[in-house]
Amino acid sequence: MIELKGIYKWVNTGNNRTFLLKDINLTVKQGEFISIMGPSGSGKSTLLNVIGMLDEFDEGEYIFMNEPVHKLKEKQRAALYKQYIGFVFQAYHLIDELTVYENIETPLIYQDIKSSERKAMVADILDRFNIVGKKDLFPTQLSGGQQQLVGIARALIANPKLLLADEPTGNLNSKQGEEIMNLFIQLNKDGVTIIQVTHSEKNAAYGSRIINLLDGRIEK
Amino acid sequence: MFKNYFKTALRNLRKNKLYSIINIFGLTVGLAACLLIGIYINNELNYDKFNSNADRIVRVTMEFKQAETVNKVATTGTKVGPQFKRTFPVIEDYVRTYIGSSIVKYETKIFDEPRVLYADDPFFKIFSFKIIEGDAATALDAPGKVVLTKSMAEKYFGKEDALNKTLNVSGKDMIVSAVCQDAPQNSQLKFDFVTQFLNLNNVKEENWWTANWVTYLLLRDKNSIPQLEQQVNNYMQTPAVRAEARLDGSNYLSYHLEPLTSVHLHSSLAGFEPNGSITYVYLFLMIALLILIIACANYTNLATAQSTGRSGEIGMRKVMGATKKQVFTQFIGESFVITFIAALLAFLLSMLLIPYFNNITGTQFVVKVLFQPVPVVSLFVFCILVSFFAGLYPALVLSGTQIIGVLKKGFTFTGGNNLLRKGLIVVQFSISIFLIIYTVVILQQMNFMQTKNLGYNKNHVVVLPIGGKMKKDFQNIKEAIEKVPGVEGVTASYETPEFVEWGDGITAIDEKGKHEISLNAMPVDLDFIGTLKMQLAAGRDFQQSDFAIMDTSNDYANYRQPFIINETLAKKLGWTPEQAIGKIIDKGSPGPVVGVVKDFNFSSLHNPIGPLVMFLSRDFANNFMVRIAGNNTKTTLSNLENVWKQRVPERPFNFHFLDDDYNNLYQAEQRTSVLFSVAAGLAIILACLGLFGLAAFTTVQRTKEIGIRRVLGATVSGIAMLVSSNFLKLVAVAIIIAAPLAWWAANNWLQDFAFRIPVQLFVFLIAAIVTMLIAFITVSFHSVKAALANPVKSLRTE
Repeated sequence: MIELKGIYKWVNTGNNRTFLLKDINLTVKQGEFISIMGPSGSGKSTLLNVIGMLDEFDEGEYIFMNEPVHKLKEKQRAALYKQYIGFVFQAYHLIDELTVYENIETPLIYQDIKSSERKAMVADILDRFNIVGKKDLFPTQLSGGQQQLVGIARALIANPKLLLADEPTGNLNSKQGEEIMNLFIQLNKDGVTIIQVTHSEKNAAYGSRIINLLDGRIEK
Repeated sequence: MFKNYFKTALRNLRKNKLYSIINIFGLTVGLAACLLIGIYINNELNYDKFNSNADRIVRVTMEFKQAETVNKVATTGTKVGPQFKRTFPVIEDYVRTYIGSSIVKYETKIFDEPRVLYADDPFFKIFSFKIIEGDAATALDAPGKVVLTKSMAEKYFGKEDALNKTLNVSGKDMIVSAVCQDAPQNSQLKFDFVTQFLNLNNVKEENWWTANWVTYLLLRDKNSIPQLEQQVNNYMQTPAVRAEARLDGSNYLSYHLEPLTSVHLHSSLAGFEPNGSITYVYLFLMIALLILIIACANYTNLATAQSTGRSGEIGMRKVMGATKKQVFTQFIGESFVITFIAALLAFLLSMLLIPYFNNITGTQFVVKVLFQPVPVVSLFVFCILVSFFAGLYPALVLSGTQIIGVLKKGFTFTGGNNLLRKGLIVVQFSISIFLIIYTVVILQQMNFMQTKNLGYNKNHVVVLPIGGKMKKDFQNIKEAIEKVPGVEGVTASYETPEFVEWGDGITAIDEKGKHEISLNAMPVDLDFIGTLKMQLAAGRDFQQSDFAIMDTSNDYANYRQPFIINETLAKKLGWTPEQAIGKIIDKGSPGPVVGVVKDFNFSSLHNPIGPLVMFLSRDFANNFMVRIAGNNTKTTLSNLENVWKQRVPERPFNFHFLDDDYNNLYQAEQRTSVLFSVAAGLAIILACLGLFGLAAFTTVQRTKEIGIRRVLGATVSGIAMLVSSNFLKLVAVAIIIAAPLAWWAANNWLQDFAFRIPVQLFVFLIAAIVTMLIAFITVSFHSVKAALANPVKSLRTE
């Protein structure tokens, strides 16, 4: 599904070149549940953003679902991730002005799905996540765990093949975090490939494979 | 999708109440100003165009040279219409018109009606005033007929049918032959009654001179105007016509044809009403646009500032697959929602403001004019344009942001944009300061005109018009008025002293030779100098014994006319005031100069004081001028009314005050001053609101910096200065830009006045200081608040 070959990413500060990613080689197969670990500044989030096509890299090849991402134009890339990838963030990034229902619905709007169909899909996922009763509330009226649940629901609404989660439990207490992890396991069993970035050994253990990053390099 | 955008937009409005209110308020005011001014301009540009023959109707104006002076007037003699029609086949018809006041009576109702129109028979054929009842063709075919407007029919006859009723107009019984629609707001002819032209005195004989009438011609071909004008002037130069008009030497008489639709805005000659002016139209347009620019700038500034808070949402929308175009559409849409709300409010506001607007412009619009297609559609179009221009920049910037940057470190505008924002603030304040300075200069000049020593005292003088019959009883009525308690003096004259139009010529002979001078003349009664509290430079006022030399016997063979001249005339003739006394001048008949009056302003302050001669005459007395005591004016007036009712039962007691007449001369200036005061006030309020919003935003952005500075020991005032100084610099730049422009514009405006104030430096200083102060207070409201906050708290939130 994902093949990264010799990915480099750097920034130039003055005369120095600081490497954010160095020679990343990584293959992810469909159905895997991968945890990326490493200390602060090791490049975990950068790697995740590169995989999610939200960020660009300076060197190397990236093949996603047999498409050479490094050769695609921005528009084509956007179309690709719009179709296959869902994102979950540490800070949830829900739109404050929209209700739970509307937040979940928004990705479908951008995929030009008809209103009646949207309704059915949102109703379905609200039901699946047990948050039907919260659908008319605004994000600020929810607890952190509930907000993240909505964030995941939103990421999953368009049936992505790949779920990218950047410290999804970073702002949650341990009980809420555990619930989210169990949800991930369940999703993974249903066939969604998951890549998560985490600080916590415990959460990393939920994954089927752990990748350790240090200073932009994968540690063997 | 649009529902989604719409909801986000509305919820955002609610969330950021301060910004929303500033934006909507600003745009509402801007759009309302545009709407009202648009209606005014539309009305001005369409003046007289309701006439279906408008492009074929011309007004004839007269130009003549006599006594080395060229005069142009909008009125013509009685001969122009009929003689031209007989001579030039391209003229289909003519109408001679005059609007005067008449006493109108019906049963017990008696009014002095100021708008009685006298017009030739084809009036209703040439002009398109709609007849509601009666027959247009025969409405004016006999002298005993009168046409009423609808409102007059209601005034005199209530619900009764007005047709064929008998109305007494100026002592003649007339049959109501038709009722017509009230003359529209944008008609140069505004009347309440129409009756036949020949009902006027002394108009039956065709005459080139005695030009008191406005003549309109209906042409067969609208393109023949220049050609006809040429033909007319050739005709007027033929010896036969010159002889008939008693023209000799270099004197001439010629005519110009003004297309009806260009009279109001482009003619320098006023007809029945003061003309509008195209300058005025431009001035209004400029003000509307300036206010709108300020409001748009507010929107752009606040929207870009606010977008920091929206960056998360935009980033997320992009992550979820929104394209650049979709984000762009969303933000333009948002700006449209705001503008649309503002447009609705602007419409309501305009409805409320119409009476005040009428006051400023001197128009009589009713709320109904707003509900016509033109204003509604224009407002909508404007709304779209404004939302596009105001929303364009924020939409472009926001839609172009990179997702990753937004998600990582939040959103910040960088360099280029700050320049734009600063530029907009400078523009806003330049406009405001310009308007403030300009307005202050106008107000100073207005104040100067009201308090200037005119050479006579215009206060507490009651003007009472004198009607034809009263002249026989002149002396008795005058004496009766003099006896009223509270009356300090009575005199009479043809025109009131604030605006003398009577043009004349005199010849003076002294040892140096013969001088011919064209000047203004005033027929006055005894006590004129004293009653109006003018000063004499030499000699005396007219006195009873002066009538003795006015010997009318023997066909005026020994008639001598006593004169009082003004200083300017004396100087022009090379006399000192003392030398002038006893000199003989000739104005039709010769007579001695008995007094020299110190110069007084007998024309508007736009003009310098010219030579003037006053001559003793009661035949021309048109107005009593009664000086009353400054206290108890009410009692004095009611006493006057009682005496009037006994002495002059046939005329209602209509009076006006001389100082009001004087102020009426400056209506246009009065309006300009009000207009600019309002505009300047609005501009500064809107600009400050924008600044207020922007300061709120920057202060939030700099909370952390302010916190750190506080921890390091900065004082509250130091921080207030730090935050404010950025804005104050911009205001300073605006002052530098606006001051020379305002200086130029104000001087330009003042050039029109012969008597004017100098533009003073302190006006600029005060405008600068006041604007700075207002801006400082506006900005420091936020910075002081932030500086006073506990720094630990502001640092923790980061």
